[in-house]
Amino acid sequence: MNRLTGFVLAVVVVLVLAIGAISAVVIVRGGGEETEQQAQPTKAATAEGGGETGGGAAGQLRLPGSDPITLDPALATDAASATYIVEIFGGLVTIDPKLNIVADIASELPTRENGGIVNNPDGTVTYTFHLRDNVVFHNTSRLVTASDFKYSMERALNPRTASTVAEAYLGDIVGARDMVRGRADEVRGIEVMDDFTLKLTIDAPKPYFLAKLTYPTAFVVDRQQVEANPRNWSRKPNGTGPYKMREWRLGEQITLEANERYHLGKPSVKTVTFLLAGGSVLTMYENNEIDVAGVSVNDIDRVLDPTSNLNAEYVTGDDLSISYIGFNTEVEPFNDPKVRQAFAHAVDREKIAEVVLKDMLPVAQGVIMSGLPGHNPQSAALSFDPELARQLLKESKYGGPDGLPTVTITEVGGGANVGFDTQAMVEMWKENLGVEVEIEQTEAATFFEDLDTGRLHMFVTGWIMDYPDPEDILDIHFYSQSRLNNTRYSNPELDALLEQARTEQDVNRRLSLYQQAEQIVIEEAVWVPLYNGRDHALVKPYVKGFEFPPMVIPHLRHVTIEQ
Amino acid sequence: MQGILPYILRRLLWAPLILIAVSFIAFTVARYGPGDPISVAMGQYRDPEALARVRHEKGLDKPLLDQYRIYIWNVLHGDLGESFRFGARPVSEIIFPKMWVSAQLGLVALIITFGVGIPVGILAALKQGSWMDPASISTFLFFQSVPVLVTVPVMLLVFVLKLHWLPTGGWEGIFSKHIVIPALALSLPGVAGVARLMRATTLDVLKEDYVRTARAKGLREFTVVSQHVARNALLPMTTIIGISLVTLLEGAFFTETLLGIPGIGRLAFESVTSRDYDVILGLTLVLASAFIVANIVIDIAYTFIDPRVRYQRSAVI
Amino acid sequence: MAEAEAAAETLDEVTLGARRSPLGLAFRRLLRKRIAVLALAFIAVFYFCGLFAPVVAPRSYTAQDLDNVLQGPSLAHPLGTDRLGRDMLSRVIWASRTTVIVTLATLVTGGLVLSVSLGLLAGYMGGKVDTAIMRVGDVFFALPGLPMLILINATLKPRVVEQAWIKNLEDWLRVDGLPDYILIFGALSLFAWVGGARIIRSQILALRETEYVVAARAMGASAWRVIFRHLLPNVSNIIIVGLSASLGAIAGTEIALTWFGVGIQPPTPSFGAMLYDGGSIRTLQANPHLLLVPGAVVATLIFAFNLLGDALTDVLTPRAR
Repeated sequence: MNRLTGFVLAVVVVLVLAIGAISAVVIVRGGGEETEQQAQPTKAATAEGGGETGGGAAGQLRLPGSDPITLDPALATDAASATYIVEIFGGLVTIDPKLNIVADIASELPTRENGGIVNNPDGTVTYTFHLRDNVVFHNTSRLVTASDFKYSMERALNPRTASTVAEAYLGDIVGARDMVRGRADEVRGIEVMDDFTLKLTIDAPKPYFLAKLTYPTAFVVDRQQVEANPRNWSRKPNGTGPYKMREWRLGEQITLEANERYHLGKPSVKTVTFLLAGGSVLTMYENNEIDVAGVSVNDIDRVLDPTSNLNAEYVTGDDLSISYIGFNTEVEPFNDPKVRQAFAHAVDREKIAEVVLKDMLPVAQGVIMSGLPGHNPQSAALSFDPELARQLLKESKYGGPDGLPTVTITEVGGGANVGFDTQAMVEMWKENLGVEVEIEQTEAATFFEDLDTGRLHMFVTGWIMDYPDPEDILDIHFYSQSRLNNTRYSNPELDALLEQARTEQDVNRRLSLYQQAEQIVIEEAVWVPLYNGRDHALVKPYVKGFEFPPMVIPHLRHVTIEQ
Repeated sequence: MQGILPYILRRLLWAPLILIAVSFIAFTVARYGPGDPISVAMGQYRDPEALARVRHEKGLDKPLLDQYRIYIWNVLHGDLGESFRFGARPVSEIIFPKMWVSAQLGLVALIITFGVGIPVGILAALKQGSWMDPASISTFLFFQSVPVLVTVPVMLLVFVLKLHWLPTGGWEGIFSKHIVIPALALSLPGVAGVARLMRATTLDVLKEDYVRTARAKGLREFTVVSQHVARNALLPMTTIIGISLVTLLEGAFFTETLLGIPGIGRLAFESVTSRDYDVILGLTLVLASAFIVANIVIDIAYTFIDPRVRYQRSAVI
Repeated sequence: MAEAEAAAETLDEVTLGARRSPLGLAFRRLLRKRIAVLALAFIAVFYFCGLFAPVVAPRSYTAQDLDNVLQGPSLAHPLGTDRLGRDMLSRVIWASRTTVIVTLATLVTGGLVLSVSLGLLAGYMGGKVDTAIMRVGDVFFALPGLPMLILINATLKPRVVEQAWIKNLEDWLRVDGLPDYILIFGALSLFAWVGGARIIRSQILALRETEYVVAARAMGASAWRVIFRHLLPNVSNIIIVGLSASLGAIAGTEIALTWFGVGIQPPTPSFGAMLYDGGSIRTLQANPHLLLVPGAVVATLIFAFNLLGDALTDVLTPRAR
């Protein structure tokens, strides 16, 4: 389903917690994450009646949410699952609402200055983490030690755990790749020095390694619980996070309760209930059944109206995601950059954003979105210029629209409508370029398989940042040998920039390298960046401190409820 | 009735074969074509190598027949498998509670359908000739015609947004306010059929001799009529009930989705799009069993309605 | 015994060479019911618009006007515009074309061909053939239709669409989205034939034992003759009633499938798509015409089918008179 419709649905009937919901909105907008796609059609209806107990009563917060696929940090890949996991579990490091990497279970961040990061003669780099001595598991009060971390990480990498992402986030650790492939049964790069000292050695100096550790795969799990109940432990997980799981009623609600002994400070809100059933969240909000709700395209006018009482409760914030059109640069006609550029110049994204999206999403001017380190405010995507577009098409090897083979644009469709913005763009290509583009709407499973096998011409999808580093978008998508290079773009100059950036230690130089890479991507029209994510929500006035961080990070402990 | 028992037995013997055919078809269709639960759940970070490893770990790269054999073997041991979509919970734990919810909703809807349909039909028959006859039937025919996709949003708009009488959705059990909108949405379309049946039956009865006889004997006409109507309507009604019950078990997808009811219809759709193989198969098996039984019951009912169909002849199996 | 009477009537007419067909009689009776006439008229208009959509619709269904989105009814756009400024009236007309194609196609394959032939075969032949057909029917009856249809569409469609001959056929017939149609009505037929076949079969079973059929067989009439002259005319009533009832159900299923995203693909308009778009309660509040316009048309169509079916039942089944 296309961004807009999915967006409309998602935001209108979203059950996902604000952050997850917002992310889902963008995902759906960009057709990025399949799991959110599936959550789509179920997000139609609404609420659990539990609302009559009144908003904010006795430190209770009610949020929209959707069923997680799993609560096992080693397996989580989707935003919905991550939303709960980051509150229930913890890792060495985490991200604060300002997107800084900060220490969590580690007592301080390792840096070169404090000796926490050391370059070894053989090219590897060792990070030394000193753990706090007061972190306990929720239900057993057992202290967390370094061997718990070794256990958890090795478990994530163990092929029997069947994690699809362990290698992505922990693969830089020496020996990790061997373990994942079953060639070793421990990871040499993870060393337990004593109860509270852990050393991680990675295979090369990679500045983004600490960022990757903020992702759930690196979180600590309770060995005793896992080994006692390998199949079902994650249903009532024993974590170390600010909240513990009290109850999970499938399809109905998840209730979290504050961890009184949380090492970074006890959360103020005692109980957080996520209502999973779906429905019109905004209606629930107006009925006082829920404390936060997403706002959709249909309601934005009402909410923005200064005379409406909803207006004072309206909150908005950008998030780190992007939707884009990708071209398969290996097939006709998109192996010709002029054709790609022509298509890029032929769509008026601003108009679509204004009319179809009611300006709810900012038009993306590049690949590195605002809020991400390396964002270039001067960056500009290819502008709307129908004349230039037609010219470029004539200059291409096809000589004009008639020479083109049939072009199909594909996107994930979960409901009956291709996003309206895609339909609008197709119409624009017809008017401005004279090219008839066919729309193919498939469901998520098919879409991603076709994407992986290179069967698509053009596709609309999206990407949500997993950690706040431009490597997570530029390198991953445009490095010629990257497994996620869905455009199959190969440019040695770009590759060189990316390789250099991987190990460049000077921050400014590194970011500038990424910006140069971004420029190439824009000019070569490998992607047509469409829109960046922005959240729109309503928050009840008695809920304070409810941030919409740009990524899925723990933030509930900063919320307070005023009586 | 000497033919009935062997007939039932013969039909029951077919049941396992049918179930195997059904499960095999569902199994194959689900696995054919692109997508599998791992790749769907994988999220945006797609690594074909990791995908291959995990598929192997879960046994999804074995030949189809092997996978099928393993599945059936497990089923015979009571293990319906695990869901990929719902945190590796056992399939039975997911399906049965949802089926129970759908069943409850279905039951209430059924009661409303008959509770309204029967009196309306009788009324229409009694008022035959006046405008009330076609008017009443047509009104309910209209309700049968409006798609659920239209009635539910409209009801939500009126009852929830404008009047604030009812909650927006969700499920709190059979005795809460949450059941009103879905039960209405599901029951109203069926009223027309029931009403028509009752009307036809009542009309027939009214024409019969025993009505005159009753009148002559001084018996309460109402008593006589209702007895006969009930008797004649019973069989076709059973058929309708049989079919409706099973259909309602199947769940009403739209109503459940639009109103946030954790029922089986919604589960069916979600598991299909997330290629949650074991849930799909589990659903199929359970529903198919219900259908098969209902089928047999309906066929038997038909013989009572139309005794010209003979069961002694080997022709009818 | 009403069926036997009707059967006898037919037999008389056939053997006496009467010109008046029972169907013609029935049709005339139908026309005397005003409601039936209205329903028939609406259906006719609908199907006309559907078949001649390219001519009837004032505008193309993709022509968008981003400066005039979400307008209510006006002179330029009698039924308003949608989110992309497309004319709702034209989209509704084109959507009816989709419905027309799907209902006709499914009816012909599933409703008519499969149901009737298999029902006849099972009823007449009896024995192993009967068992085989009925058990296969059981399998399809037991399979949960909607999930299977969604699965089939999701898994098979991408592969069907790729076939070159389908693309050629699409161009030749000038129908966009042909693979979608084929898959839908193919799949629908697979599940739709069972009920009808069963009813026809039980009718045939009953008729088979009546005296005149037995007599005909005894006189050496071939199976074909018996079927066509004696059996088929008697089940024709049921067939007709069943057909008109099915049309409504088929239209409804197409809407459901499209709503799920496995039916007709955009930009080909369909009612399912329009209902999906307009259906969220917030949209309903803000732009009611998005739901109500297609909703009213679809509801009226299905209503017309139902009314017609009702009237036909009255007319063709002597008992109900």
